[in-house]
Amino acid sequence: MMKDKTNRFLLLEVMTKALKLFFSILPMLLATIGLVGLLQTYVSSEMLHALFRGDILVDTLMGTFSGGVSVGPPIISYIIGGELMDAGISVYAISAFILSWVSLGLVQLPFEASVLGLRFMLIRNLLALIFALLISFALGLTLSLLS
Amino acid sequence: MKKNSFSYLFLALTLALYIFTFLNSPEHGLIALQKSSLILKEVMPILLLVLVLTALLNILVPSKKIAKYLGEKSGIKGWFIAVLGGLFSHGSSYVWYPILQDFRLHGAKDGLIISFFYARAIKLPWLPMMISYFGLSFTLVLTLYILIASVLQGLLADRLLTPLNNTNL
Repeated sequence: MMKDKTNRFLLLEVMTKALKLFFSILPMLLATIGLVGLLQTYVSSEMLHALFRGDILVDTLMGTFSGGVSVGPPIISYIIGGELMDAGISVYAISAFILSWVSLGLVQLPFEASVLGLRFMLIRNLLALIFALLISFALGLTLSLLS
Repeated sequence: MKKNSFSYLFLALTLALYIFTFLNSPEHGLIALQKSSLILKEVMPILLLVLVLTALLNILVPSKKIAKYLGEKSGIKGWFIAVLGGLFSHGSSYVWYPILQDFRLHGAKDGLIISFFYARAIKLPWLPMMISYFGLSFTLVLTLYILIASVLQGLLADRLLTPLNNTNL
């Protein structure tokens, strides 16, 4: 009987805490998801294609930038990356694009800063950006050595 | 600016963008709204699960335990947990923010949290698809480099970020 009451109290406490947390992040969550919807509507794969010119360095930077502002499931980045590969765009740019698609998120920055702190958000994203470039170059070099 | 007022301001800005879109092109506004509601439906189950886990963790797991497994003295075990956690975590990054912040407040190292985030760049369920698009060598080398980078980033972040108690930005 006593244990039952304790369990019920614990459940109530957990639910109250979870609900409080939910409502504290709700405005930011709705804003982020709303922006993702808008971006998905206005940024097309043709627009992303148009950013690449055939220059390894510029394309890699463009890949990092366009991957960072794009949103959606990873498969979309593979499809666009595959099309870019068919169009002769370098593996450096394609890997930068795919990697920044999954590791950077321009739209999520305000949400990340509001929950984890501005400094944390800045350092995490700065590191992710630098490493997207580093990994792309390392991957390109490794693949050319392997082939 | 208070954290809450910033959140509401951001929401108000997004709403303003939607009003602008609807006034300019109702068709695009509707598509954006449909896409957003679809995403909301997708993230909600994972988000609710994460929030309940956060609350449970908050109530049942003492800070000492978290500090032991993810804190300053967690050693290799901590890195292992962070990278594996990142590899196997599902859903959008933002659903994980509350629980990760809770870990930090309970003494988890920032480096491990950053490592967790970067390891999430490896999308296990999508790997077969990546292989079919870009080949096995591309996928294997990229996955290996992401794993190494996630630990390197964590180590760098530990140098750059001071413990949470000292920086409450």
